[in-house]
Amino acid sequence: MIEVKSVTKTYGKKQNKFVALDDVSFTIPDGASVAILGKSGSGKSTLMHAMSGLDRPELGEIVVDGVDILKLKQKAVDRFRSEKIGFIFQSFFVQANESVIDNVSLPLEVAGMRRGERTKRIAATLESVELTDKSKSKAKNLSGGQKQRLAIARAIANNPRIIFADEPTGNLDSATGEKVEDMLFSYNKENGVTLIIVTHDADLAKKCDILITIKDGKMASIIDTSKSPDIPQITTRKTQL
Amino acid sequence: MVNKFKQKAYMRRIDVIRRAGRSLSQAKVRTLLTSLAIAVGAFTISLALAAGAGGRAYVNQMVSTSGDAKSISVYAPMEDEKQSAQLLPEYGVIADDAATVGVLTKKDLVNLRAVAGVETVTPRIGFETQYVVTPAGKKLVAQAEVKIDQTELIYAAGTLDNFTVKEGQIVIPDAYVQQFGIKDAASAIGKKITLHVVRDNPAGGQESTDKTLTIAAVDRASDTAIYYQPTLRISPVDGESLYNFINAYSATKDTYYGATVQVKSGYDVNEVKTALEAKKYQAYSLQDDRESLLQTVNVVQWGMAAFGALAILASIFGIINTQYISVLERTQQIGLMKAVGMRRRDVAALFRYEAAWVGFLGGTIGVVGALLVSFANPLIANFLQLEEGTRLLIVEPLTALLLIASLMIVAVASGYFPSRKAAKLDPIEALRTE
Repeated sequence: MIEVKSVTKTYGKKQNKFVALDDVSFTIPDGASVAILGKSGSGKSTLMHAMSGLDRPELGEIVVDGVDILKLKQKAVDRFRSEKIGFIFQSFFVQANESVIDNVSLPLEVAGMRRGERTKRIAATLESVELTDKSKSKAKNLSGGQKQRLAIARAIANNPRIIFADEPTGNLDSATGEKVEDMLFSYNKENGVTLIIVTHDADLAKKCDILITIKDGKMASIIDTSKSPDIPQITTRKTQL
Repeated sequence: MVNKFKQKAYMRRIDVIRRAGRSLSQAKVRTLLTSLAIAVGAFTISLALAAGAGGRAYVNQMVSTSGDAKSISVYAPMEDEKQSAQLLPEYGVIADDAATVGVLTKKDLVNLRAVAGVETVTPRIGFETQYVVTPAGKKLVAQAEVKIDQTELIYAAGTLDNFTVKEGQIVIPDAYVQQFGIKDAASAIGKKITLHVVRDNPAGGQESTDKTLTIAAVDRASDTAIYYQPTLRISPVDGESLYNFINAYSATKDTYYGATVQVKSGYDVNEVKTALEAKKYQAYSLQDDRESLLQTVNVVQWGMAAFGALAILASIFGIINTQYISVLERTQQIGLMKAVGMRRRDVAALFRYEAAWVGFLGGTIGVVGALLVSFANPLIANFLQLEEGTRLLIVEPLTALLLIASLMIVAVASGYFPSRKAAKLDPIEALRTE
């Protein structure tokens, strides 16, 4: 479970103060697929950075499985990210000159996994994203869709508990984008891994169980769109803007 | 649940090293160029050290074949220059000590024998022959010397016992063989040479005597000996008898221009030399020559090495620059690594290992280059007209390893600031799309 409690993040000082996140609070149950919807500059990316430990808001708590990650030291936050989190970005950020295998290997190496175990895990992961035949290819030789599948493989290789996807289909055509979306959602449902998608695409957002809308740093609404009885109902809240 | 976050999960060093190697091989040209910059300096230093090692070995070899390592040449104390410059000698009057100034007397020999560590003291006898008679009967004007110690000779024919000339024997140089009317060195052995010496009788007239000796060996010049003079060599016994004959009437009888001190085994030659000098005698051992030659070799070595060090210094700036550019280019890559949880210190370590790899490559290329040049030793020896088999360039494995290790350290030190910059990158900034 992820609890975001009164999180506030400010950039700059005095005159040039910019409030990116303003007293945002919500709770996400395990295994849910969550969309954080907002326009460019709304603070959705900042929210993702805060929830994943990449950034530290100065106020509030972010409690993941009972631990407030804002109270952890840098080393522990790094460990938290390497063990619990997988990232997928709009620009893929695969290492072009490295092979597909070496790309997927990175988070496993960072987590200290031995070579023998890594090889097995990588093979299984690549199979699940249907990139086995491209194992030895260099990442730069892959198509856009293949690159994003590689990014997914990298994100899921270490069996994370939470996956953060920042505009995962932003750089893909609609057909490829749909395939990637399907892959993400099926991974989410089959493994009970929390999926948090940051996007400005309302259609994609509707496909998620929970839809959180961010506007000007404040949470505008949180809607539970799932019909599943396992996920607790969250009441719709609309704050005055 | 809390325990899960406390699991020890950090990147394995071997994986960091492998990643470092991989990122270098993905930028092959840049890596090669940076390594070559180091290699130039490494090559120069390697070559300098190899020349030093070869030079030192050569000097030691030279010195050991040039004379007896355990002997010291001793001469009379130096005259007090000030005094002798001021006093004018009176014509017709021979000063009391004229005969003994600048020479060693029998008393001196006793003094020398008394010094600790002295095994034997052999006076140096010099004399002139009026002429020598060759086996063919021809009279030639040639000089002879007493061979006092066991200095090695290079034989053209024949052999001596322990490089010592025995009573009745004579050694002639290869250069005289033809002139003595002998066909070649080998046929000289066993032939006879007669030395003819004269003296003035104070009562009037000249007296002479002859000494006939048998040729036991023929010697020749070597490329490695420091000193070589072609001369006839005879034994101390024969020399002394000739000397005593010549000086029988003279005031310089029983005086010697120098003496050779043989050092007892177990005693340090330099210590004995110092003891002799303490008694005001002038003393020279082969060690003096050796030390001054070694000094020359070392000066040349360090001079060359200094140039190499300059080249390394220049390449350091290159490394720093290349590393900074590398960090800039890989900003997104670094951001991603940090996003997946790579620790700052592992990011810094990654860049440091890359620098270490480059230092290793450059050092190895330089050392291998010097090694290849050292294969040309036969050519060098030939060019300098040295003895065959002389190796003037000796690449020592331990020195080479130390050099490579030092260069790796230098490279890592150069990469310090760039790797710090990489470690400090903010992953969010780094991942922002342009």
